[in-house]
Amino acid sequence: MKYQKGYLDNPTLLKIELMLNGIRVGKKALDKVMVEMAGTDEMVDGIDIVLSHKTKANVPYKEEFARKSSYLLKSRRDGFFITDGEGEVKVEIPPIPNFYKEKTTTGIPFSSIGDVHSGYVVITPSKRCDFFYSDVECRYCTANFDSNGGTESTYSVDEVLETVEAAHSEGKAEIIYLSIGFGKEEDGGIRFLKPYIKAIKKHFNALIAVEALPPIDNIWVDETYAIGADSVIYNLEIFDKELFELICPGRAKLIGRERYIDALRYAATVFPSGTVASHLIVGLEPPGYTIMGIDYLTDIGVIPILPIYRPSPGRTLRVDPLTTEVIAPVYAHLYRTVKKKGINMHWVRDISIVTTPLEGRFLIDGGRGFRSIIRDFYNTKVGLKTAWGLATLRRKLRVKESGESSGSSSS
Amino acid sequence: MKIEIDRRPLWLLLLLKGIRPLSFLGIAFVFWYLLSIPTPEGLTLAGRNAIAIFLVCLFLWVSNLIPLAVTSILAIIMVPLFGVLTERETFALFGNEAVFFILGAFILAGAVMHSGLSKRIALSIMGRFGDSSRGLVRAIFLLAAILSFFMSEHAVAAMLFPIVLEIAKGLKLRPGRSNYGKLLFISLAWGCIIGGVATFLGGARVPLAVGILKETGGETIGFIEYTVAVFPVVIIMLVVGYNVLVRLFPVDIPEMADTGGLLSRRLQELGKVSYNEYAVGTIMFVTVLAWVFLGGRLGLAIIALTSVVVLFIFRLVRWKDIEEYVNWGIILMYGGAIILGTALDKSGAAAWMADQTIGAWARTPWVVIALLSLTALVLTEGISNVAVIAILMPVGIGMASKFGIDPVIITFSIAVPAGLAFCLPMSTPANAISVSSNYVGVKDMAKAGIFMGITAWIAFNIVARVYWPIIGLGF
Repeated sequence: MKYQKGYLDNPTLLKIELMLNGIRVGKKALDKVMVEMAGTDEMVDGIDIVLSHKTKANVPYKEEFARKSSYLLKSRRDGFFITDGEGEVKVEIPPIPNFYKEKTTTGIPFSSIGDVHSGYVVITPSKRCDFFYSDVECRYCTANFDSNGGTESTYSVDEVLETVEAAHSEGKAEIIYLSIGFGKEEDGGIRFLKPYIKAIKKHFNALIAVEALPPIDNIWVDETYAIGADSVIYNLEIFDKELFELICPGRAKLIGRERYIDALRYAATVFPSGTVASHLIVGLEPPGYTIMGIDYLTDIGVIPILPIYRPSPGRTLRVDPLTTEVIAPVYAHLYRTVKKKGINMHWVRDISIVTTPLEGRFLIDGGRGFRSIIRDFYNTKVGLKTAWGLATLRRKLRVKESGESSGSSSS
Repeated sequence: MKIEIDRRPLWLLLLLKGIRPLSFLGIAFVFWYLLSIPTPEGLTLAGRNAIAIFLVCLFLWVSNLIPLAVTSILAIIMVPLFGVLTERETFALFGNEAVFFILGAFILAGAVMHSGLSKRIALSIMGRFGDSSRGLVRAIFLLAAILSFFMSEHAVAAMLFPIVLEIAKGLKLRPGRSNYGKLLFISLAWGCIIGGVATFLGGARVPLAVGILKETGGETIGFIEYTVAVFPVVIIMLVVGYNVLVRLFPVDIPEMADTGGLLSRRLQELGKVSYNEYAVGTIMFVTVLAWVFLGGRLGLAIIALTSVVVLFIFRLVRWKDIEEYVNWGIILMYGGAIILGTALDKSGAAAWMADQTIGAWARTPWVVIALLSLTALVLTEGISNVAVIAILMPVGIGMASKFGIDPVIITFSIAVPAGLAFCLPMSTPANAISVSSNYVGVKDMAKAGIFMGITAWIAFNIVARVYWPIIGLGF
């Protein structure tokens, strides 16, 4: 498929375009969005927009580059529209969750603990990342971590549970995405996340994705699955070895690229197909390397997720972003490869902050003839309950607990 | 808590999970079928129901789908429910002397272990006689056997295991590779197994068999009477066992220097003999004397329970201390097995089954004894030895009346071989404990065990044929 300007009709191309270039927001549209956001503790990073075919995109609008975007979000009586100056397409702006305006019993705004992106709630219980503390942080990182390595910004299990409950009451907590920064512990952060995962599993019929660091020993991968994580993400970020060492010095020195790959390979044998994922940032290395990374990761049963790089204010790393024409074939390759290797691509779906493998289908003949019955089913209440039930059954069948501690030979 | 992820295909895991409920459905169906078919000639309705219950319990005991004790509870429920015995008769059978004897024996063994006396005796004997490679093997083998004369063989294996493991580690033997390592741990297991059949105290089998004998035929076997009849088998097995072991697993280490020091260090750690050890030792000694000389008059259970009361009067143990040594599952299993055995006997089902099985082609008492002992030896490799008693005793009692054999002899023919499981770790806890050391593999144990099993069957039958008539147990 040849990519050319006029992306409004293709949701995936439009999503890539909007993520790369951002969007200007018309006054009327901004007023409407602001009314929604009034009372929340902080402004969300981008606007979640639902494009055609229910494709969700989180689009930058506050940044400098967004103000120069050729795309404009405008509001009329009959809804929201995106225009590129030549044509327009109708979109939806999902309402901001009501619980964003509320606080935990300890006085913390829910919006600073849980971040809702379409069907996901993203929670980072601890803002600590020792990469910052050791001055080996990832050079592009803009995550909201405590750069002093402090532990004071840690939310308690109860605070996280209250947040999940608030999100759950609005039907937005079917999938909880827990993430953690780097710590020097050998478990990759799982020991810390364990009480959160167990508490959420105990109180809610929710699926849990864990974004952590690869543990030193694979027994922690087993533990991650056993305690209730339904998906695990170890983000390699960059596939090329030299660029990985240059851009992610902490990951390279303190964990090592080989360990990332070994942990991902092992996790793919423990977790269900399509639930072990790794980010490869598009734009931080030549697209050819990203494609090699896609091939390698899918060979070991891992699903690559490709966020798009945008230079961030405050970071020294500056790489010119790629264009949609260059990026789109990478996503098309991602879709084809994942499909060819038979990896389930329905777990990683409907994420607004990245372009998912499934969305790559619109880059193959415009997605003609594609009917995502499975995706639509899993987006229904019954589908979500089914996914949770199957995940629970699978765990019950797979996990065996014995009273012996490892290494003991006596009876 | 160790976590393992089962990576087998999900369909297989689902199938395996499904087997359990399907098995119960299958059992229910077979049970319903057995109750619905016309009663065979020569069998009463109660007898037919008793056999149906027996077959259900037999399957559950062999398959271990539910714990052995729970199968016994099921038997206790089903026997009155299907009109084989009345409710009153059923529950009264649980008050059998054998049940209370084994309860007393568990508590006494618990007191001996808790006081540290058994460990001290073990370390002293091993230190004194284990001064050479072969001497140490002999010491472990005989010590395990002798201790199993007086306490449960399972308890002896569990007690000696850490000591033997420490010796093996001290000698830097390579797990799975060292012949001497195999020798030490199989000696431990076999010593316990052979010693365990010598008296009523070695395990639960003999009291259970005697309990069923008493309930069904009114006869009993005395403490000394049993040991006198069985002792030649024990002696033969000890001699053959030791020689088989040292030939199959030749000593592959130089003469030892450090073992004595290691054992004496462990002994020193125990300190001087405490008041509790003296007192518990004295009570145990008096108990054994009473079993020997007063057992027939007072009953073994009365003596055992009296000693238990004395232990508590002198505050030698606390209830909390001995609770972990009392295997309530085995006690429940006992009660259920006695009830089921009695149900089969009183309903005429046992005699009918005997007639239809071995009775159909066994022509002489000699063949009956040989077949029963062989069946017990084979079954005990696969299922709990107490379950073997529960399964075979009712049939055996039936055979006794058909062939005019003294039921006491039938009891011996089942109870003794049922304890001689040498081949597999699942056969008896002593084997399982040895294999858990990783010094002995299942193959090693099976290789040596098959030879011992055949020897045991031949030795038992020779003793039965030649020696028993001399002591008045002719057939």
